Amino acid sequence: MRIAVRLTTVAAAIALAALQGCASRGPTIESRLDGAARRHVELDSTPFFPQSEYQCGPAALATVLGASGVEVTPDDLAAKVYIPERHGSLQAEMIAATRGYDRLAVVLDGGLDAVLREIAAGNPVLVLQNLGVAAVPFWHYAVVVGFDVDRDSLILRSGADKRKHLSAGRFNYGWSLAHNWAVVVVGPDSIPATASAERYVAAAAGLEAAKRDDAALIAYRTAHERWPADSTALLGIGNISYAEGHLADAEAAYREVLTLAEHNAAARNNLAQVLLERGDPEGALTEILRARSDLADARLTAMLAATESEIRRALATPGPETSDERASNK
Amino acid sequence: MGECSLRRMAVLGLSVALINMGTPAIGHAAIITTPTYVAAAQRDADLTNVTAALNRADVRDRMVALGVDPARVESRLSTMTDAELRELSTQFDQLPAGGDILALIGVVFIVLLILELVGVIDIFKKT
Repeated sequence: MRIAVRLTTVAAAIALAALQGCASRGPTIESRLDGAARRHVELDSTPFFPQSEYQCGPAALATVLGASGVEVTPDDLAAKVYIPERHGSLQAEMIAATRGYDRLAVVLDGGLDAVLREIAAGNPVLVLQNLGVAAVPFWHYAVVVGFDVDRDSLILRSGADKRKHLSAGRFNYGWSLAHNWAVVVVGPDSIPATASAERYVAAAAGLEAAKRDDAALIAYRTAHERWPADSTALLGIGNISYAEGHLADAEAAYREVLTLAEHNAAARNNLAQVLLERGDPEGALTEILRARSDLADARLTAMLAATESEIRRALATPGPETSDERASNK
Repeated sequence: MGECSLRRMAVLGLSVALINMGTPAIGHAAIITTPTYVAAAQRDADLTNVTAALNRADVRDRMVALGVDPARVESRLSTMTDAELRELSTQFDQLPAGGDILALIGVVFIVLLILELVGVIDIFKKT
C-alpha cells in the first residue's frame, strides 16, 4: 500500500519534471497585451507576507486585502480561511473572508488578458495555481503583482518569494489547471478594470448575504452608476433600503427595476411586500398576482406564493384602521 | 456512524426550518434577497430554506471534523451565500484547498534525492 503511494508520487514527480520541459506553451504576454499598456509593470507597494507552512491562502489574502487598504496579518486570516486537516484554504472561504472587511472579491473572466489589464490598472490579482499535475494536484495561492513583456514573465508574491518571476508559459499551465481562477479585491466604491456587471453585482450580493449592509449599498450604488441599465444593482439598492427600514426608498428602487425589466418577478414580489407594509394591501395583491403570472423561474414560486398568502391574510384580517371603522359602524 | 451523522444533520436542518416556519411570514420572510435572486438568475439548483439549513449544518460538521475551531466555524459560515454553502456541501472533498507548496517542495526534493542516490541524475554536486 505504502509502496503504491510512493510509486504514484514518484511517477507524479517524473511527470512534473517532464512538464517543466513542455510548459512553455500557451500565449505570450506580448500577444495578450493591450497595445497601449507599458512593457513592464510592477506594483511595488503591494505588501508581502512570507508564508509559514501551508499558509499561502492567508498570506495571499492578506496581500490583496492590504493592497485594497485593509491592514490585516496572515495570522488573523488563518482563523477565517485555514482548514487544518486539509492543510489549505478553499476558494469560497477566501472570497467570503473579504466581506468581513467590507471588501468585494470580484472573480475575473477573460484569462491572461484580464490579469494583465488589472495589473496595468494597479490591481494585484489573487490566483490559484496547481503546481503539480491534474492527477496529483498541489494547490497554491499567489498574487500576481507585475509583468515583464521582454522576459515574457509574470511577477508574483508567492510563498517565501517576494518577487517570483514565472514565465508566461509556466504560469499559464499551472493556472489553467486551476480553471484560470483569478480574483481582484476592491473596496465597495471602486470597480476592477475588467469586471463585468454580473460578476461585480454578484460580489456585492455577497456583502448583502454577509449582512454588511452599508458596504453592500455603496457597492450597489457604484454598480448602478457604472451600469445604469443593470437591474440587479437596483434590486440590491431596494433590498438594502428595505432591510434598513427605508420603505419609501425601497419602493422607488423596485419601481425603477420594473421600468428597466417589467417582468422581473423578484422585484415585483418585493414591491408587493413593501406596499403591504406601507398599508396598501390591494395594491400589493395586484402586484403579486402580476409577479406570479410573470414568473419564468419555478424556483421562486414558493416565495411568491408566501407573499401572496401573507397579503391575502392581511386583506382577510382587518387591520387597525378597518377595525376602527367597524367599531364606529356599530 | 455515517448514517447517524446524516440523521443528526437532517434533524438539525429541519428544526432550523421549523423554527423559521414558526415565525409568521412578516417582514424579511417575503422579500427575495439579492443573493437569492442572483442564484436564481445563475440557474442554481435549490433555493429553499430547508436545503440551505441542511447545507449549512453539513458544512459546519465537515469543517469541525477537519480541525476548524468550533467556536469560530459559525462566524466563518455567516459570511457565505447559500450558493457557496451548497457548493461546499456537495463537493467539499473535491474542491481545491490551496496551501501545499511546502509539501510540494518536500516531495520534489525527496524524489530528486532518490534519483540521485540510485544514480539516475547527478545534480547534487560533490566538489
